[in-house]
Amino acid sequence: MNGVTGVVVRLKLSLLRNGLRQSAGRRAAYITSVVFTLLYAALQLLGLILLRGSAHAATIAVLSTAVLALGWAVMPLFFPSGDETLDPTRLVMLPLRPQPLVRALLTASLVGIGPLFTLCLLTGAVVSTAHGAAGYGTAVVAVVLALLVCVALARAITAANIRLLTSRKGRDLAVLSGLVIAIGAQVVNFGAQQLGSGGLSQLDPAGDVLRWVPPASAIGAVDSMSNGSYGVGAAQLLLSAVALAGLLTLWSRSLTKLMTAPDASTLQAAEPGARKRTSAVPFRLLPAGRTGTVMERSLRYVWRDPKTKTAWVTSLAIGMIVPVFNALQGHGSVYFACFAAGMLGIQMYNQFGQDTSAFWMVATTISSPRDAYAELRGRALALLVITLPYAALVSVVTTAIIGSWEKLPEALGLTFALLGAMLATGTWTSARFPYSIPQEGYKNVAPGQTGIAWISIFGGLVAAALLSAPVIAATIWLNATAGGSEWTWLLLPAGTVYGALILLLSLRLTAPRAAQRLPEILAAVSKG
Amino acid sequence: MNEVGAGVAAVRVQGLWKRFGEQIAVAGIDLELPAGRFIGLVGPNGAGKTTTLSMVTGLLRPDQGTVEVAGHDVWRDPVAVKARIGVLPEGLRLFERLSGRELLAYTGRLRGLPGDEVDKRATQLLDVLGLAGAQHKLVVDYSTGMRKKIGLAAALLHNPEVLFLDEPFEGVDPVSAQTIRGVLERYTASGATVVFSSHVMELVESLCDWVAVMAAGRIRAHGPLAEVRGDAPSLQQAFLELVGAHGHDAGADLDWLGGVR
Repeated sequence: MNGVTGVVVRLKLSLLRNGLRQSAGRRAAYITSVVFTLLYAALQLLGLILLRGSAHAATIAVLSTAVLALGWAVMPLFFPSGDETLDPTRLVMLPLRPQPLVRALLTASLVGIGPLFTLCLLTGAVVSTAHGAAGYGTAVVAVVLALLVCVALARAITAANIRLLTSRKGRDLAVLSGLVIAIGAQVVNFGAQQLGSGGLSQLDPAGDVLRWVPPASAIGAVDSMSNGSYGVGAAQLLLSAVALAGLLTLWSRSLTKLMTAPDASTLQAAEPGARKRTSAVPFRLLPAGRTGTVMERSLRYVWRDPKTKTAWVTSLAIGMIVPVFNALQGHGSVYFACFAAGMLGIQMYNQFGQDTSAFWMVATTISSPRDAYAELRGRALALLVITLPYAALVSVVTTAIIGSWEKLPEALGLTFALLGAMLATGTWTSARFPYSIPQEGYKNVAPGQTGIAWISIFGGLVAAALLSAPVIAATIWLNATAGGSEWTWLLLPAGTVYGALILLLSLRLTAPRAAQRLPEILAAVSKG
Repeated sequence: MNEVGAGVAAVRVQGLWKRFGEQIAVAGIDLELPAGRFIGLVGPNGAGKTTTLSMVTGLLRPDQGTVEVAGHDVWRDPVAVKARIGVLPEGLRLFERLSGRELLAYTGRLRGLPGDEVDKRATQLLDVLGLAGAQHKLVVDYSTGMRKKIGLAAALLHNPEVLFLDEPFEGVDPVSAQTIRGVLERYTASGATVVFSSHVMELVESLCDWVAVMAAGRIRAHGPLAEVRGDAPSLQQAFLELVGAHGHDAGADLDWLGGVR
């Protein structure tokens, strides 16, 4: 290894070692992830070897390689800070030329679990398809080529987008990546079910295209060579080699540009044409005074703050999926629709923690229980604007699937009672057990406040269930009593009024407490 | 509106204490800040300036002691006090996912000002502070200087009698600093009081007519600038003597620095 390459590889190893030295938890997490990755890689390898001889072996091998390459392309966009050697701007002060730097960074990229996993999978892919001397010879070249293309792809994409990735928008994107992965898992799940019913031959057309797309074309070459189509195989191999050269050139160019051009983010932003954020029409319909002001800010944050947005999208999605999917699978109940109210009501919890230390701006404008009441009521109303229609929608959809329309009024009544109870307990715990939500990373509780967060959420959930007990009891009683089911429609107005009353009561009781505890709340939410 | 009754101090602090665990951050402060002055609270890092300002503005509860602003107790009469003060804290966030203009609209309305009046004042403040071009940008994308300026605008919006600024010039470029200075000078000329903390002595010396020197949680000296400076050639010298941080020659151990290369 020449000088620079050795130094960069050692740098990567030191960063890894020091990262692990920081805490036992991190070490445990790393070791666990290594073990699981290797187990998974071994299973993949085994599975691919078992496929050897199958008619679809080549298609599966090519597809796996393509998916793997996609993973390499996408991962750095979501985890830009995962690897510090990936960020060439950190090396900008050092007197390095692009060529040795590219060589060094490429070599360093080959160290780690990701490349090892890739190597296992690629080996499996070629073992499942290679036959004969030409096939095996090509296989060795193909594995090396495909691995290098994957790594170079990740690096080239990162280098080209590093300014975006380290910017505010990039970091916002990273917070949302968990959602993309969750939704992606659903899609994969759905795809797998389709395959289970339709057979692997459905994949062949995709395989025919992808075997010409690098780096999958390198694996396609192994198959072609094994079947005696040497010309086709050579062309596919060449395609991957050209792609590698192209990626390296692109990467080298971006590196040079990064190292020599000024960072545009520090330039004076004199955008006179900056898009005007007008007060959208729906916001003009909000009431005047503190209530409307608080509502407008809360609703803007649902859309603009990545943490708040993630929490909302998760609540909305799960609140719909659980009752509706259960109903679709035939073992649901209209009462499951209450689940949406529970999921959405959680957004009322830790209201001031969601403000972070910016809560001081609220604290300096609350001088009486009256102000605190208006503040809390505004926040609850902002939540109701979204949750009330949505929870009703989930109830209607669930009922429609199950078909028992006569149960809709009581399902709605229960939903609204539970929503009121969740907002009531959320209001109270927001003032009593506030905790910080760190703005960076995936954690939703600051270190040392996990206990408070658990008390707040789980205590609140239990309390909300107890608070809605009268409505639940009335539902059971009316359904159990002879002739009672004719009166179950009464549960809709009763549940709605009950939910509204306990929310109002909680707002009244919490307001003086919140107004009194402003410095304590500020201290609790400023730790993130 | 900015007139404070004659003889009433803008801020009166008595026996103020704050302890964080083992560490005493503020160890018994008695201080009377005159109204209508440009007051500097100076001291080294860790002297207790931020803790003191947080307690005076009602953002941190003291362990002991009383604070009065314009004759009203901060903790017993928050209604009278919170309407009369403007605050720009250090190290706390703003609602950064709002644009500059939205932040001002939000703050002004929370303060109970009529919407039209808030928008009028916001436009003027954004103009004067040179933020008109960036008013529709999210505060999260603002530079340090722009954040300090939008924070100052939010603190001034309700025309307070006393303005508390914690390190308003920290990390601010010279152009923005000059703008902030201009606004503050105009504001005090109208009879209002500005209390700001800093550890840059030249700045305090050129801006303030009254200073309080803090070190290790106590007030070491206070009074009109000339009085505190005394015979020393500059406030910097007077300050170093007051906090007892002089006489150590840092150059002695670095004899190689600047030597033969």
